Amino acid sequence: MFCPTHEHFSRRSLLKGLFATTAGGALMNWGSLFASPARADEVAKNQKRCILLWMNGGASQFETFDMKVGTATGGPFRPISTNVPGTQVCELLPRMAQQMDKLCVIRSMRTSQIDHPQGIHLMHTAYSETANVRFPEFGAVIAKYLGRDGAALPNFIKIGSNGDSGSGFLGPRFQPFNMGHDGRLPTFAQSPLNPEVEARRNGLRQFVEDTYAAKHAVETAKMHRAAYDSARRLQSALATFKIDEQWQKYEPLYGDSLFGRNCLLARQLVEAGVPFVEIGHSGYDTHADNFTGHKGLLAPMEQGWAALLTDLQERGLLQDTLVVWMGEIGRTPNINNRAGRDHYVRAWSTALAGCGVKGGLVYGQTDEEGRDVTDGKVTEGDFFATIYQALGIDPLTEHYAGSRPIPIAPFGSNVVQDLLV
Amino acid sequence: MGKHATWACILLIAAVQAAPAAEPLRDVIDRELAARWQQQQIAPAPPAEDAVFLRRIYLDLAGIIPTADEAAAFLDNASPDKRAQLIEQLLASPRYAQHQADVWDMVFFGRNPPGYDAAKREGFQHWLREAFAQNMPYDELARRMLKAEGNTAEQGAPMYLVQYIRRPEDAAMAVSQTFLGVQLQCARCHDHPYESWTQLDFYSMAAFFARLEMVKAGKAKVDNQELEKIYVAEMNSGDIKFTGPAKDAQPGKQGTPVPPKFLLAAVLDEPDFGDEFKNEKRPKENEPPLAPKFSRKDKLADWVTSAENPYFARAAVNRIWAQFMGRGLVHPVDNMSESNSASHPALLDALASDFVAHKFDVQWLIREIVNSHAYQLAATGDVSDAMPLSFERARTRPLSAEELLESWRVATRYDRLAEQQNKKEAQGRFSGVSFDYVRRFFGEPNNGVGDFQGGLHEHLYLNNGELGRLTTPEKGGLCDELMTSADEWPAKVERLYLSILSRRPSAEEQARFVEYITSEKESRNQTERLREAMWVLMTCSEFRFNH
Repeated sequence: MFCPTHEHFSRRSLLKGLFATTAGGALMNWGSLFASPARADEVAKNQKRCILLWMNGGASQFETFDMKVGTATGGPFRPISTNVPGTQVCELLPRMAQQMDKLCVIRSMRTSQIDHPQGIHLMHTAYSETANVRFPEFGAVIAKYLGRDGAALPNFIKIGSNGDSGSGFLGPRFQPFNMGHDGRLPTFAQSPLNPEVEARRNGLRQFVEDTYAAKHAVETAKMHRAAYDSARRLQSALATFKIDEQWQKYEPLYGDSLFGRNCLLARQLVEAGVPFVEIGHSGYDTHADNFTGHKGLLAPMEQGWAALLTDLQERGLLQDTLVVWMGEIGRTPNINNRAGRDHYVRAWSTALAGCGVKGGLVYGQTDEEGRDVTDGKVTEGDFFATIYQALGIDPLTEHYAGSRPIPIAPFGSNVVQDLLV
Repeated sequence: MGKHATWACILLIAAVQAAPAAEPLRDVIDRELAARWQQQQIAPAPPAEDAVFLRRIYLDLAGIIPTADEAAAFLDNASPDKRAQLIEQLLASPRYAQHQADVWDMVFFGRNPPGYDAAKREGFQHWLREAFAQNMPYDELARRMLKAEGNTAEQGAPMYLVQYIRRPEDAAMAVSQTFLGVQLQCARCHDHPYESWTQLDFYSMAAFFARLEMVKAGKAKVDNQELEKIYVAEMNSGDIKFTGPAKDAQPGKQGTPVPPKFLLAAVLDEPDFGDEFKNEKRPKENEPPLAPKFSRKDKLADWVTSAENPYFARAAVNRIWAQFMGRGLVHPVDNMSESNSASHPALLDALASDFVAHKFDVQWLIREIVNSHAYQLAATGDVSDAMPLSFERARTRPLSAEELLESWRVATRYDRLAEQQNKKEAQGRFSGVSFDYVRRFFGEPNNGVGDFQGGLHEHLYLNNGELGRLTTPEKGGLCDELMTSADEWPAKVERLYLSILSRRPSAEEQARFVEYITSEKESRNQTERLREAMWVLMTCSEFRFNH
């Protein structure tokens, strides 16, 4: 479970690529960083990947990793022991308790957007929404730096999509491939044509595109053409999206749930080389009935999550795969009169596992009732800087929106070194 | 003098210099742009060829491509002012109103408007189409939407505010952004870090919408559809309360009522009703609501749409400019601010003051823009920017979902097929394939600031979707027309190109397509090849974009 420093990209090589792109035109970031074959090889050697488990609506830290038993804010559940001596989690996470040695829990998140759309944007991009700049989701950034150009599988896959920032100013090339909550391929993914017919039709189409490109250098047409090529390549990789045949074998591990199935699918996709997969799990916005809500939601979620970590470990993939668990917000210490918890971002929890991060670690502390961070505050910027660092991407890497430099983690963010191996 | 006042003053001076200029606006446009090219030593693209201009102007003014016959007639027309003639012909056609209605409906509602009721808005769309058909002045159009008199079915315009009922903060944001070109959303939670407006300015604008309610009262028939009649009602009481920066918000803290105040301008002078409306009841259901004793909303509508408003005309001309020229003179078009200044300030001033002088005549403004040399430049060259900063070549923009589907119908003659066969299911603007799919795959071609964002997904539809339904060999369609024509294949391929790409093929293209189709000898197989060739032309970059 480590990513030695010499394998991290050098800032210089990244910047070189970026500058070359920048000189190419006003659509700065749409150029092709991977045009240099040397870089693509560098990545392929020891590819790192990321799976995001997205708790849409905002899971409660009190019912998961930061219990405040016996206080006014604690709620009804009890803590249980884990496979890390001295560390306890909520009784709703029995399987994850046995994965605690792989997990790096952050109890001291302090973020800046308390509502869903803004929070979803923030926790996908590291930035708050602004009028002029369309920030890319971190899945798009990871697709750009860890993805393989010309791969048959998309480099950025979202299953049960949450958030719509997509690739932002990184352009259509790094747009997410969106699959439904049910893990099915999108409509029209499968070509109905006889391959021979498709091939000759493609030949004519390439001729027509060449003719247009000879007179028009416009970036958007190039993007349109590149996207057509990737849609064609996808045909050869459709089998990777199917888990039906394996499901019987894996159902006992992952659990009989859509979330469990999607976790298996994500494992299959990263194993095939996809650098970023997000799985959405919805329903956590428990303004009412927070406790029954979490009881129902967490059971299938934690089984899928625990199975994913186990499976990745057994396949030797965990050391190169970072599994991120979070939602857009935390929930209030106070329990409202509908037995619910509202939105809260002063002190809440997220968790990491795998590539580059320590296992069996609980980082940061909140006060007795979980109202404020008392130690180790982690902002959204720090969080994303740490994720990028763990994946071997320099958090100071900059893109340009117009002439404005925008680092992938906001200026002033700090990598939380204590979390990294 | 404060920062606010300076900003407002400069704009105001620009707006009131409204005497009609002697120089036609189209010449001002060309002069201003050329001055910049000269200054920056930029070589503009050559004028667009006739066929390029033809397709561009059809899509921009009518939202569809020309038929093969229309294309051939224009290309073969030797008249020196045929472009200006075509512009007049298209401006006068019903398609002009339809297309502008489509464009502005997206501005006012987007693909997924907030609130359940605005999803079904045929009444509004009907009104909008009529408004453009009559060339309703833009200030009047905006005023009707903001005053919201009548109901959403028979009058239509009130639907705009229906989407923001009981959401005064969202209304303030949308109205400022849409009609004034300024974005206030940052100021919702804290004083704006870069601009003049404060959080209090934001809530002062929201206060204008704090008293709106809606009432449903029966149904009416519009375009053969039963639509609900929704009225926007305004109460005499109700305030927006301000609690300070969001990060300091404490649960249960009440906040103080904020009086309505025009953005960076005066506080609204409103009568004091004392306790008269202390326990005011909500308007009755099922009957048109009474007007309030004093309407905040009407005062705002008058202020927003006034010729003296420093933002209104500029926001409008900037948006219309971008519709035809790609980039706004301020870009993005709805973010005019001190920190995001105009690329060509004098030109923006000229557009705005001339627009006011011409009493907000939208058709006049469009006519001037598309008759400029700048609009009629080629989009060719080795420059990659789809929205050139100095407008030295034409922009390349993706077709909207509506433009794509309707143009596919024109290209394949699916419209003629539907008519000839009297097929009910094939008639209507968007029949032939499922418009739901087209909307899903092509509905948001841009990322909100004008950059094309079509990725892999749209090709799943194009490659594997329903286009085969439009290339059908049934009688009346293009495939049938070509297969049954007595012409030789080179002439048929010319017709194919005219039908789909609105131009004649080069010799190389003609040869390649003839060979592709006639490498099969049997008619049945040639039909299949022809349908594949149609698909190629319907999905290629040259078709996907307006350039």
